[in-house]
Amino acid sequence: MFKLSHKKIIATSAVAAAVAFAGCLGSNPDASSSSEGSTKYVASHTYDFNGKKVIDGGVYYPVVDGKRGPYYVNEQASRIAYNKGREALPVEIKAWDVDVMYNGPFPKGHGTVGEGEEIYEEKCVACHGDFGSGAANIGIYPALSKGNAYELHETLKNQRLNPDDDGPIRVFGSYWPYPSTAWWYIKTGMPHPHPKSLTNNEVYALVAYMLSINELKVDGEVVEDEDFELNQDNFGKIEMPNVNGFIPNLNGPNGTDNIRKLLNTPHEYGAKTLADGRCMHDCLKEVKVQHITIEQKNFLPPLSEVRDLPKEENGGGAEAKAKATYEASCAMCHDSGAADAPIIGNKAQWAKYIKEGMDTVYKKGIEGVGAMPPKGGTTLSDAEFKSVVDYIVGKSK
Amino acid sequence: MDIKETQNAPVSSENEVELSSRREFFKKSAALSVTAIAGTSLAATNALAEEKGDPNIVEEVPWGTKLGDPVTKNRYGMPSPYEHNVTRRNAQLLASGNWQASIAMCPIQDLYGILTPNGLFFNRDHGGVAHIDPNRYRLMIHGLVEKPIVLTLDQLKKYPSVSRVHFIECPANGGPEWRGPQFNSIQFAKGMMSCAEWTGVYIKDILKDLGLSPKAKWMLAEGSDNSEMGRTVPIDKVLDDAMLVYGQNGEALRPEQGYPVRLLLPGWEGNLCVKWLKRLEFGEEPFYAKEETAKYTALKPSGKAIQHFYPLEVNSIITSPCPEKPWTDLEDGEWVEIEGLAWSGQGTIEGVDISLDGGVNWQKASLKGLVLPKAWTRFSFMHKFKKGQKLLLSSRAYDDAGRIQPTVKEERSVMGVESVYHRNAVATWEVTAEGKVNNVQVIS
Ligand code: HEC
Ligand code: HEC
Repeated sequence: MFKLSHKKIIATSAVAAAVAFAGCLGSNPDASSSSEGSTKYVASHTYDFNGKKVIDGGVYYPVVDGKRGPYYVNEQASRIAYNKGREALPVEIKAWDVDVMYNGPFPKGHGTVGEGEEIYEEKCVACHGDFGSGAANIGIYPALSKGNAYELHETLKNQRLNPDDDGPIRVFGSYWPYPSTAWWYIKTGMPHPHPKSLTNNEVYALVAYMLSINELKVDGEVVEDEDFELNQDNFGKIEMPNVNGFIPNLNGPNGTDNIRKLLNTPHEYGAKTLADGRCMHDCLKEVKVQHITIEQKNFLPPLSEVRDLPKEENGGGAEAKAKATYEASCAMCHDSGAADAPIIGNKAQWAKYIKEGMDTVYKKGIEGVGAMPPKGGTTLSDAEFKSVVDYIVGKSK
Repeated sequence: MDIKETQNAPVSSENEVELSSRREFFKKSAALSVTAIAGTSLAATNALAEEKGDPNIVEEVPWGTKLGDPVTKNRYGMPSPYEHNVTRRNAQLLASGNWQASIAMCPIQDLYGILTPNGLFFNRDHGGVAHIDPNRYRLMIHGLVEKPIVLTLDQLKKYPSVSRVHFIECPANGGPEWRGPQFNSIQFAKGMMSCAEWTGVYIKDILKDLGLSPKAKWMLAEGSDNSEMGRTVPIDKVLDDAMLVYGQNGEALRPEQGYPVRLLLPGWEGNLCVKWLKRLEFGEEPFYAKEETAKYTALKPSGKAIQHFYPLEVNSIITSPCPEKPWTDLEDGEWVEIEGLAWSGQGTIEGVDISLDGGVNWQKASLKGLVLPKAWTRFSFMHKFKKGQKLLLSSRAYDDAGRIQPTVKEERSVMGVESVYHRNAVATWEVTAEGKVNNVQVIS
């Protein structure tokens, strides 16, 4: 049904003058003898709407004879200008259009390093660790700093070819091209449990604090002083060491053409073309095999191809269900003590919670406390959550 | 590079498919059915007395001797409870802190055909799955357009609809294995992808009425979830095949996929296909959202990182056998299908080659079923299993954009081992003498 004979392809392309047609693409060495030759759709390396090369280096499927590739289309549908919805009001656009562009203008506001440190200690440290380090007992949350950004920037050429090698450090200071991203992201996405709760001034203060822990410069001066104030006027003078670390250059009028050029140059990104060859015989002189050295197998739930009834239905009961929920939603913190969570089975740690009374333990767990998100970040009902708490407490006293 | 073992390629001429003559065929199928019967009785050798036969056949089974469920039960149907091990899975290694900024891997070893059931579709979130009230859903389109608009969900659905089968893949699929294999599991080695039929609206059809400025080069797409996930899309893709989708395999998008509306950029990085979509802004300059600076940029050994690395390049993986589905139960001389998935975000799969010796020699596999652009494509290769024979099974796909998968060595030679994203080198399973299947990499 999807077959397009070569004859038909040629006939159609002659009719569709606007279609820059490329027919049999690639140089499949045995295309003529291959049955797959017939599955080809009319495809082109060039768009018909702007005459440019396909931006991602791939092919474009123009509409030919009422079909786009294998799909029939209603061509009339794409010629009509639909007048749907209503005009967006300026006040609505203002409410949602809060992104911050790399080249400004920057939002109105100001905040100091010292103010930022206070907010950080209150709202961020539980996950991101002291001084943004992604502290060792947490580890899995992203670090916001690893030290002097200009020095760490030098690590970006590191390659971990041996187990003991240091890798590149990709944190805000050493890696991000623009600080506008941090402002925008913190404003709309952090703190993780309560995003969109910070004022402009608080966000300026937090970014100022991030500049200080990354030892970044603003207008030539390293940010050290806790009275240093960041605001809409000096934000554009932050000196990010990796601002030129990304290819291609996307800014300015040639941005999209630059990425078009890169993605149409396969060898720039490790891609291979049929023109490089599709070797069929004696392609390797020797076969070197790399096996798994450190196997990762902490999977939830464990891998299984068994077809049987789940444990609950086998009569595992409420305890089995609570255990399964614990493993899926709580173990990540309460098994390891990540984020300083009390560890399951550690009687001393749990005693100080239990002595507050179980009602308090339930309540705090449901509402969230410190780095413990409400209900551990789950959507369990109160009753379900309590049964998991009972399971933990049962194992810890 | 820690090379654990060097081994010579096994020779494998007997693997050519030789079901040539009709007579051969009958001979073989007769032989096969004998083995099949033998196989069944073997499975229960001890329990099964020849004269009594299989109790599942000669005795009544419980589900045949009582009433089943009424049609009023399970108004939204569920899989058989016996299939409960077919689920998405997580690993703490792949979470940035908690299960809200994390990924759930698709069990591709257990899927049939090219469509992923909605409940098994892989899921990557940056601030948890948002639950949007469709009545309060609004989509804003603004920026460099003459007429900025707001649409409700019902209004969006009034545009002419388009349905397309496309895979969505996280560009970090396979990314933990740049420095070598880590997971003895296809679900974890390659499960950051799925494929569905999506229904929605071409953005270009909406733009016709809005007066898009010729100065518009980029489109910001932003979600309304906790993380307000955003990404910048070049206008070329918007005018090509970018869609706003609300349907997934015939029903509404699942919350994990961005209910009620997500952006779909066929063939491009999954994170670009912004979920819980609330806003499209057209601009002259790129937006530099968090997920196109801190993450989703591919660091090269030069210390420079490729940004805006859109397409998922041509790729393939053998799904059967795989570590989860080994060949430990095959009989010597049994014919078995080597099956797998191939896909390309740059076009349509044109062919797949199979190697049994780690990439020394290749043979052409067959494609199977529908072969659609930027969609999963099944391939198949018949193999005569030889007990005790070690194999290094690889697949290598190529597409109509003229791209073919590189070897691990070729890809590493350009990208090094720190780029995290867009790893599409040829993957290899080692089949041991016992028929077990291990994840390995051929690095020569
Ligand atoms: C409950 C834990 C938690 C808290 C509290 C928290 N964050 Fe985060 N933060 C995260 C997670 C998880 C991510 C990664 C999200 C993702 O994967 O997209 C993150 C990412 C970030 C990033 C991006 C880091 C990178 O390099 O990608 C910044 C910046 C950040 N947070 C700042 C803050 C600030 C400032 C605060 C306090 C106002 C804060 N966070 C509070 C969990 C937290
Ligand atoms: C992101 C990490 C994290 C996850 C996930 C998590 N917890 Fe916690 N939990 C904590 C931390 C940290 C504390 C200690 C809070 C404190 O003392 O400030 C805690 C404390 C608690 C407490 C004691 C509350 C009190 O103050 O009395 C209970 C009960 C609890 N967790 C239950 C759960 C359950 C049940 C789950 C899973 C459904 C869960 N937690 C998931 C981090 C976590």
